[in-house]
Amino acid sequence: MRVVEAFIGEYASGKSENAINRSLELLELGHQVTLADLDTVEPFYTLRPLKKSLEAAGLKVIAWSPEQTMGLGEAGTLLNQEMIWALKNQGSIVLDVGYGVHGAKIFNLIEGAETDPDLKVFAVVSAARPMTATKEDIVGYIRELGRVDGLINNTHLGSETTRKTIEEGAVIVTAAARELGLPVVYTAVLKELAPDFPNRDKMGNPVKFIRRFMPQAFW
Amino acid sequence: MTREKIALSPAMPKCWNPETKPHKFCPGCGHGLALKMLGEAIDELDIQDRVIFGCDIGCSLLSWDFFNVDSVQTHHGRTTPVITGIKRARPELIGIAYMGDGGGYAIGAQHLVNSATRNEKVTAILINNTNYGMTGGQMAPTTLPGQKTETTPYGRDPEETGYPTLGPEMVAAIAKEGAYVARGSIANLRQLKKFLKKAIQNQVDGNGFSFVEVVSSCPTNWRTNAEATWSFVEKDMAEYFHVGEFKVPGQKEEK
Amino acid sequence: MSEKPVTGERRVFMTGNEVCAWAALAAEADIMYGYPITPQTDIMQYWTRLAPKFGRKFLQTEDEISAGFTTIGGVLAGKRAFSATTGPGNVLFQEPMSMAEMMRIPTVVIIPQRGGPSTATVIYSQQEVTMTAFGGNGEGFRIVYSTAGHQDLYDYTIKAFNTAWKYRFPTFVLGDGYQAKMREPLTIYDPAQRGIQMVKTEPLVGLEGTPGRDRPTQYLRNTYNTEEELYEVVMEIARDFEKAAPEIVEWQDFDTDKEMDVLILAHGVVSRSAQGALPLLREQGIRAGHFRPITLRPMPEEQMRRAAAKAKRILVVESAYGQLLKLVQQSLYGLAKPIDTLLRPGAGVTAEEIADQVKEGR
Repeated sequence: MRVVEAFIGEYASGKSENAINRSLELLELGHQVTLADLDTVEPFYTLRPLKKSLEAAGLKVIAWSPEQTMGLGEAGTLLNQEMIWALKNQGSIVLDVGYGVHGAKIFNLIEGAETDPDLKVFAVVSAARPMTATKEDIVGYIRELGRVDGLINNTHLGSETTRKTIEEGAVIVTAAARELGLPVVYTAVLKELAPDFPNRDKMGNPVKFIRRFMPQAFW
Repeated sequence: MTREKIALSPAMPKCWNPETKPHKFCPGCGHGLALKMLGEAIDELDIQDRVIFGCDIGCSLLSWDFFNVDSVQTHHGRTTPVITGIKRARPELIGIAYMGDGGGYAIGAQHLVNSATRNEKVTAILINNTNYGMTGGQMAPTTLPGQKTETTPYGRDPEETGYPTLGPEMVAAIAKEGAYVARGSIANLRQLKKFLKKAIQNQVDGNGFSFVEVVSSCPTNWRTNAEATWSFVEKDMAEYFHVGEFKVPGQKEEK
Repeated sequence: MSEKPVTGERRVFMTGNEVCAWAALAAEADIMYGYPITPQTDIMQYWTRLAPKFGRKFLQTEDEISAGFTTIGGVLAGKRAFSATTGPGNVLFQEPMSMAEMMRIPTVVIIPQRGGPSTATVIYSQQEVTMTAFGGNGEGFRIVYSTAGHQDLYDYTIKAFNTAWKYRFPTFVLGDGYQAKMREPLTIYDPAQRGIQMVKTEPLVGLEGTPGRDRPTQYLRNTYNTEEELYEVVMEIARDFEKAAPEIVEWQDFDTDKEMDVLILAHGVVSRSAQGALPLLREQGIRAGHFRPITLRPMPEEQMRRAAAKAKRILVVESAYGQLLKLVQQSLYGLAKPIDTLLRPGAGVTAEEIADQVKEGR
């Protein structure tokens, strides 16, 4: 079955982390997987340092590589044709979408996004970020984004994350999701915390154990 | 209509650098269209070996190796003085300063104003796409009222941040006889090329300062598909930014 | 073609700013770009009076940012282009000068320092040493000559054009408001008659022939995307700078050939007071020497260390609050010598004051 998932969220919400983990998970399940970096605000930084190692693992990665950025200016908000046609790839597709005031309007730029029957848009939410720390803030934020099909509770404090951090986030994110009429797709838990954690968080949402990749990225 | 015309257009201008094509701009970006018209203008005026092309920081920078003409990257807002310096030292060269709305109307506004006042014999071309593209879509002097950008997340409020800068109108008001000032649009390429050609010819003739603003597009930061992009250029922007010639040497002004 | 502005040799008497204008003319400078600021303005005023007579050009810009970038434009076009500024103007010059550093554009800028910070005084100071040598967002790949009087201003203004064009680093003549305004005699000369050949300039844009057909197109960059690319570029500039430094450094030393009780370190016009202090100290049986770095960037470190090694103590004197001192400490690192200071930000220093300070410091 073709899986097409877009991870959308603010800086440091963990969207790239979840997108990478999901891509590798699909790969293990035997999917052919394309991971596309559609961050237009800081496109050259997120996946760039990881590109080679992810490709070695068997992913097709659509992202700028250092060689391609020659002469592209200091930061570069740039989409290339490969990115715009990302949804036309064979197999399953994971989109890592940047933050920005236009939210899910990024899909206006992606060919076939409007009509893709499999596309799911997940908002990655961390209640440890002050701007999305309460139910009200999260509800307001998600409504601004545009199309969202589900929330991911990715409440974390980096290396200081504890079970308590995540469970507190689960309560807030779940309350927001209920008000929005959306599911909490899963609660993300760092692999290191797996021994402490049951398969569901205290709100009953499924738990997904994720590996951290971003320390190898720039942010 | 317009898009069909582009698609059917013949091969690339002679002065383009084929090794750097396809160019580096996002699909749907107006820079490529403006630069194509500029390339055709350079070809038709047969001045490739005399042109010095200066490009600003921002998306304009992506044109640094676009043409087979000697080109220099400058700093943000500083392209007009670099080109002015070259032109003053070597008047036989033809200096083109290529910049965005931030470079021309914000950080480098003093250079645009004073070059116009001094009637520097250079040609400044400014791409107006209503936002700072390279840095991810922040408010520019040309952002329309109500338009959402990364630094006007609730829409541009003119009470707080003023109204869009009307560059050609301003330049035409301060420039004296000999200057050429126009605003073209990527929605009318034939006219845009005519303006660009006249702006360069005006320098070749040694008349004075030449300035062309180009109403352009930024679908990546606007998050617009093709249809919405053209609608924004042809309707929303056209309402504020009136296309036409504002100053033509030898022509009495209609006020 | 106009005749030479200076022929043969001539003893003359004039102000320092006037000297700079004449020196630029003698050095075959083609064009000056500038914005008025005291005490630099007379350089522009003399240049604008003299330049048209010799077919040279001038542009008064809207500010010093523009003055710096138009000067860059003049050099790119292949002309011996220069500017002059000081104080807050020098602050604005740091943006264009950082571009000149990155792109190896041989600009020449004359800086008669005034007091700072901020608008401060329009008279005199040595407070622009750090900024002139290391301003801008980079490593300070620049050449800075610190002059001590009118003969220096003439000699080093001419030399600055040659150093800049030979090594392709932005080059500065660092004077001060006293030198700018005071009058003293000097010898002006036609450089060619002294065997000084002006280094040929060449255009970086607007070369002969059609680009892409007859010759490669010039694409001049200062923007890079990756750490790796920038690192290579900067390291290459650093290697060139280090390699050129021994050929560029200049200094003067006075009575430093034998053991000293004290070595006085001073640059620019303060060096003249230091020189004046030596006989005063000798009268009192104090063995004093003086070392004057002429290039502040690159610094004649080896030569300074050699002199300092022979002294019991060091005295750093400057019209700033420790800008030369920092450069000295860096140059003498590891040499176990006590360093005394006479730091007078924005104020002049006399020979007597230096002599008194030496006696106090003992």
